[in-house]
Amino acid sequence: MIKIENLYVEINGNLILEDVSFEVKKGEIVAVVGPNGGGKTTLVKVILGFVQPTKGKVLIEGKNPKDYVKSGKVGYLPQKSSYDRDFPVSVFDVVMFGLINTSLPYKEKEKKVLEYLNYVGMQQYKDYSFGKLSGGQQQRVMIARAIISQPELLILDEPSTGIDVVAQENFYEFIKKINKEKGITVIMVTHDIGAIGSFVNKVVGLNRRLHYLGDFKEFLQKEALDKLYGSEVKLLIHSPECFTCQHFNIEVKKH
Amino acid sequence: MNISDFLTVPFLQNAVIGGVLIAVLLSVLSLFVFVKKWSFINIGISHAAFGGLAIGFFLGINPTLIGSIFAISIGLLIGYISKKGQIHEDISIGILLSFSMALGVVVMSFSNNYNSDLFAFLFGNILTITYQDIIIISSFSIISIAFIFYNLEKLMYCCFDEELANISGINTNFLYYATITIIAVATVLSIKLVGSILSSAMIILPAATASQIFWRYKSIILTSVIISVFTVLLGIYVSFEYNLPSGSTIVIIYSLIFFTAVIFKRVFLG
Repeated sequence: MIKIENLYVEINGNLILEDVSFEVKKGEIVAVVGPNGGGKTTLVKVILGFVQPTKGKVLIEGKNPKDYVKSGKVGYLPQKSSYDRDFPVSVFDVVMFGLINTSLPYKEKEKKVLEYLNYVGMQQYKDYSFGKLSGGQQQRVMIARAIISQPELLILDEPSTGIDVVAQENFYEFIKKINKEKGITVIMVTHDIGAIGSFVNKVVGLNRRLHYLGDFKEFLQKEALDKLYGSEVKLLIHSPECFTCQHFNIEVKKH
Repeated sequence: MNISDFLTVPFLQNAVIGGVLIAVLLSVLSLFVFVKKWSFINIGISHAAFGGLAIGFFLGINPTLIGSIFAISIGLLIGYISKKGQIHEDISIGILLSFSMALGVVVMSFSNNYNSDLFAFLFGNILTITYQDIIIISSFSIISIAFIFYNLEKLMYCCFDEELANISGINTNFLYYATITIIAVATVLSIKLVGSILSSAMIILPAATASQIFWRYKSIILTSVIISVFTVLLGIYVSFEYNLPSGSTIVIIYSLIFFTAVIFKRVFLG
């Protein structure tokens, strides 16, 4: 679905991405991990067509990112911990934004919004002020907005920012569910390495260059982590069930 | 003077019609000033118009035309600098406001005469609204308000999150610059009639007041229009009845309604 070949991105004379190549297949969940300033968000912006590659090629379904995004097949959840508390929109209005370029009659749109709010478990909040919701609730609403137009590709940039551990777990469960039920390809930028392990198909370890590409189990090898984070990394495993791969709760500490 | 007399005096009729038209236009725009936190855009543009007016007077070319061109150019430049430089619009406004005012003062210093017309234009007088002013304002208001209501949801989406709106296929740049242009022209038209101070009040206070009571944008926009029309009508009546300056009276009423709404919110809405 996505093909990235020898991608270089330079911004204001700084090389942000250097010779990055990988592919994402349809229906996969791909985690992009790496240290701060490693180019993860820049990679997302390239895939969304907001940043032009200095060198190299990015194709989504054979199209350049800008054209693909214009076709309305991308759902995007930006890296944002909170929205303006006083912004005058309701939960309903925010999800309705996701249907802005569809030609459905209003009644149909309304029905769809309620259906998707129900899907994310937020129907009872439809008339609440969006800005007054908690971080986790806002994320759910934003996800409903992102998927209501039935995108083929969902891009999540640090989706767990600003939400508590329980809400994070629910959120990841939800991502698994939409991937399975709707067949949406998911690219997720995250620091939350532990929580994603049980369900991602592929891990992209990025620190300017591509340091790791493969499955999660191998990624946990100490060498791979050390290489990615640029120094010795100590894994603190909080959950005893970790080794059964049911639930990871790992903290990455740099030395 | 009773209400019926008030509405039969020709210059008062013009003041009422022109004032209401401007009130409706600026109160609709006030929603965007409120959500984008562009409190100074109107002041910036009106000061930019000052530079254009001074050049117009100095060169003997229609000052309104030059002032409008200047205001629109500065408005667009505010948008461009903010977007490209990734700085808040208020910073760009501060920079361009000073430049334009300074330019206006320098140009005026070349002129030997104190130009009272220039200052009349800056401070305005709602009681001097002419039939021609009404035609211009009503035409512009109808087009602008139609454009805003047609694109209302898209405009709100852009204000909420421009990147997301862009991904949803909205031409965010077009809507951004179109909104700034409408605000620039509305400002130039309104300062000629009501002065730059009243014009600022008319574009800031309606949505700021309405948002004390309501929190959804459709309710805010409707309430803003009602507040503005009521304030302008009451202001013109009170100023005429008690021989007070019309612009200042209207600003005082706007402010009193705003403070009442703030107190109402505290007492009744928590």
